[in-house]
Amino acid sequence: MLRTTLLAAVLFCGFLPAQTSSNNASKIVDSANAFLGSLDEGQRSKVLFDFKDAAQRVKWSNLPTTMVPRAGLKMGDLTAPQKKAAMSLLAVTLSKSGYEKVLAIVEGDETLKASSGGGRAMFGRDLFYISFLGKPSVKEPWMLQFGGHHLALNITMVGPAGILTPSLTAAQPAKYTVDGKTVRPLGAENDKAFALINALDEAQRKQAILNYKVADLVLGPGQDGKTIQPEGIKCSAMNPSQQAMLLDLVGEWAGIVNEPAAAVRMAELKANLPATWFAWSGPTTNGMPAYYRVQGPTLVIEYAPQPLGGDPTMHIHTIYRDPTNDYGKKSVGH
Amino acid sequence: MRRMAVSLLLAVSLAGGASAHRLDEYLQATLIGVSRDSTDVEIHLTPGVAILPIWLAVIDQDRDGRISPAEERAYLDRVVREVELRVDGVPAPLSLIESSFPTLEVLREGLGTLRLKLRAARSGHHLRFENRHLPQVSAYLVNCLEAPSDGLVVGRQVRDEAQRSISFDYSFGADTVPVSRAPGAFWLAAIVVLLLARAVVTVCRRPSAASVRR
Repeated sequence: MLRTTLLAAVLFCGFLPAQTSSNNASKIVDSANAFLGSLDEGQRSKVLFDFKDAAQRVKWSNLPTTMVPRAGLKMGDLTAPQKKAAMSLLAVTLSKSGYEKVLAIVEGDETLKASSGGGRAMFGRDLFYISFLGKPSVKEPWMLQFGGHHLALNITMVGPAGILTPSLTAAQPAKYTVDGKTVRPLGAENDKAFALINALDEAQRKQAILNYKVADLVLGPGQDGKTIQPEGIKCSAMNPSQQAMLLDLVGEWAGIVNEPAAAVRMAELKANLPATWFAWSGPTTNGMPAYYRVQGPTLVIEYAPQPLGGDPTMHIHTIYRDPTNDYGKKSVGH
Repeated sequence: MRRMAVSLLLAVSLAGGASAHRLDEYLQATLIGVSRDSTDVEIHLTPGVAILPIWLAVIDQDRDGRISPAEERAYLDRVVREVELRVDGVPAPLSLIESSFPTLEVLREGLGTLRLKLRAARSGHHLRFENRHLPQVSAYLVNCLEAPSDGLVVGRQVRDEAQRSISFDYSFGADTVPVSRAPGAFWLAAIVVLLLARAVVTVCRRPSAASVRR
């Protein structure tokens, strides 16, 4: 029943009207206030943090919330109307595809719970948390956090801008079925990357493919503020078609946030494309586990299959950063 | 060795199939920061719960099931001994300047990460780093950090397949590299100067065409 409801939510999401830049920030603020208005005083005191609360800002992880506790309100502790209001806020803050991706990651964790015997208290959709830093406003900066095991969305709102970095998306299992339908939360991130590496010619692939194994994310949780030396092939050495493929791949992360904010971000990433690098480690046959990294002046993306669970292609971690603007630091200065 | 393997198998079987963290590997992630006058090496060590028995056997010297401050220090010293930094081909001793050691309870959850910050008071033009600590159970990451504000330019990073070692050339711009800390460049420059001086002397001593004719 719950799964059917989730699917219905995903389908309903497809009928949401396209957002426009003029009123998008207001819609998000209205939706946030509607959620906050549905809470009692005790809940509100748990979910609201000061915008300058540095400890809360960085309180995110790929790990289950039972291992790395998150603050805020747990979805499992909300009433049905409150939960609906929270999900409506996410739907309006994210793009249609971004919202679907988030639902698929959350549902994947529910699948993991079921496959672990159902009694595992560390997985499942009830263990995702929502929190706010600052009060929702169209003028003042504020931040929405939503996450749990394998998901950390840190969305800094500065006026009309929605800044999604740093955020973590991950999936275990990376492929599952709901009512007979196959769901791959990070399937596009996988398939588009394999298409790109195979679109490179031999000389380009030689530049792109690293001659060493990459066991995990280099700039994952806890590595804020760091940037490593770029490696692989520079996009300026790619033809326009290959560059378009890379931009499309990057859009899987940049496009999680709502369309107007994503358009601004994609324009920035496109302008920086000649100075962006693509590095690959592992086999180039789709279906095999391979790590890759996209790194540019304002971008770090890593995609890292994990050995845990037996099949690395079924357990993926990814990170999305802007070393110049994580948590909106360019605009808000922290 | 057999005892270690049995411990590992036992731990893997106890850990269960679906968890959330690296289980049977010791992740050793290193970030190297080079500056004009020193080199920092930051190492994060995360033992998976399945290798904890092996790891504890290394650390808990008196086998009392606890890690004392002295055992912590001895282990950190061992890590420092088992990594090597060379700058311009010369060993650059690393000193431990910061560290944090998680509790055993946190480590048993598979969440503990030991953090070490090491520093060598040397910089130059070529760096090589190698990690020889517990290779049987480890997965490695090693990278050089960017430092655009320092004008740092790093050449191609060369690693072995497992990322236990890395080497690369670097500079901070030709006119700003401290010569005293870059012996290779110093001697190269000295040789060039001597050759130039010799060439000048040779030219000056050579009789001119007019004097030969006379």
